[in-house]
Amino acid sequence: MMKYITAASAGFVLLAVSSGSAWADAAAGKGAFDAKGCGECHYTDGPAKEKTIEDQLAKKGPELWYAGSKFQKDWLSAWLIDPKPIRPLKFNSLTEDNPADHPKLAGDEAASVTDFLMSLTSDAVEAGKVKPKKNPKGRQIFTKKMPCSGCHQYVGRKKKLTGGRSGPSLVEAGVRLNPDWILAYMLKPEVFKPVKMMPVFTGLLSDKDMLNVSRYVANFKPKK
Amino acid sequence: MKKILNLAAFAALASHFAVAPAAAADTIQVFKFYCAQCHGLEGKGDGPNVTKDFPVSPRNFTDAKEMDKLSDADIKNVILDGGPAMSKSPMMPPWGKTLTAEQVDGLIMHLRQLCNCKGKQG
Ligand code: HEC
Ligand code: HEC
Ligand code: HEC
Repeated sequence: MMKYITAASAGFVLLAVSSGSAWADAAAGKGAFDAKGCGECHYTDGPAKEKTIEDQLAKKGPELWYAGSKFQKDWLSAWLIDPKPIRPLKFNSLTEDNPADHPKLAGDEAASVTDFLMSLTSDAVEAGKVKPKKNPKGRQIFTKKMPCSGCHQYVGRKKKLTGGRSGPSLVEAGVRLNPDWILAYMLKPEVFKPVKMMPVFTGLLSDKDMLNVSRYVANFKPKK
Repeated sequence: MKKILNLAAFAALASHFAVAPAAAADTIQVFKFYCAQCHGLEGKGDGPNVTKDFPVSPRNFTDAKEMDKLSDADIKNVILDGGPAMSKSPMMPPWGKTLTAEQVDGLIMHLRQLCNCKGKQG
């Protein structure tokens, strides 16, 4: 059995290498991911495994099994080379700041790991739903009607950095996140993050307002 | 005989504790996970989200005078439906789709312990 699996995966690598496509890089990227010990803090096989608060608190880093649906490729490859803090606080801590000590990758490794991570997708994300747009309704929800800004940093009026610190920063989320993933996460949080400190808004915001707020967040871009 | 009695008493005590503290420990975990980000780990209204930009102070649950104004039903309402359900700020999120009924009941008891107050009756 063991031999059979090894032979099969060797065949996969061979096929991938010989086809010379993105698959080749994804396979090499998986190798680099494992060799660098990334799997010690991130799991890459879905669906979501967390069932209890303990499960969530035991994690050393965010789950990556749907990374290809969540992130924008250009952002990901640049971030792996030069990882800047995303969460203002240390992962799973309410008292310590983010130590800004994420492992770095060299350029070629980052490229292949990016290909590997971008190959991990979730079919719960519908493509082409969210067009990032200036959206006064979404803004109203994010800053006034709902407590989003209480837990997420963003750039508000007069280019001022504002907002809460317990959630990931959404500054430039429009460069980092796939707009369609934002909507899918709002509509079906249980698929991606069954146990999380963010409240479930499904049934509290209408589908239209989910779309509005997703468009608004997807439009967080660097100010020119 | 004495020994047997002691054992029985011990068993009764142990089974009593086995139920109550386990539930209390769960509630504290629920509180720390969901509520402490704004209300603080000790419930004093000083969680990490409360920077100088935060528009309203999250309730300090150790303030008996303020907490006494709320009945258990008021607390339940505000946890389930958020601040606006009690004409308060929308910065207090609605947790009705996130928490189970038992978790909400546990939280109400936990807040009563923090304020050491019974709250408005009826
Ligand atoms: C010691 C644990 C640890 C190791 C090892 C580790 N990471 Fe991370 N990773 C984290 C934490 C914690 C975060 C959150 C960082 C932040 O918010 O700034 C993170 C964030 C990420 C993210 C963004 C995920 C998100 O949802 O925001 C990616 C992508 C990532 N890591 C990839 C990798 C890769 C590739 C490697 C191997 C080179 C790796 N990590 C190694 C702990 C780790
Ligand atoms: C009580 C705090 C809280 C509130 C309120 C809140 N969030 Fe979150 N949010 C979080 C936390 C914590 C996470 C990270 C969850 C995790 O990865 O386990 C998160 C994750 C997210 C993400 C994914 C970011 C990423 O990089 O993974 C988006 C997008 C988001 N929230 C948008 C919103 C919107 C829109 C609202 C309002 C409708 C909102 N949030 C309200 C705490 C909050
Ligand atoms: C995003 C921040 C935030 C989170 C997370 C949060 N709260 Fe609040 N809470 C507030 C704010 C702000 C107020 C004060 C609202 C006001 O005075 O207008 C408040 C007020 C309250 C009140 C008093 C309401 C009143 O009428 O005086 C209760 C009770 C309460 N919160 C319970 C909880 C519980 C239980 C949790 C966890 C399940 C929780 N809160 C999580 C921000 C938060």
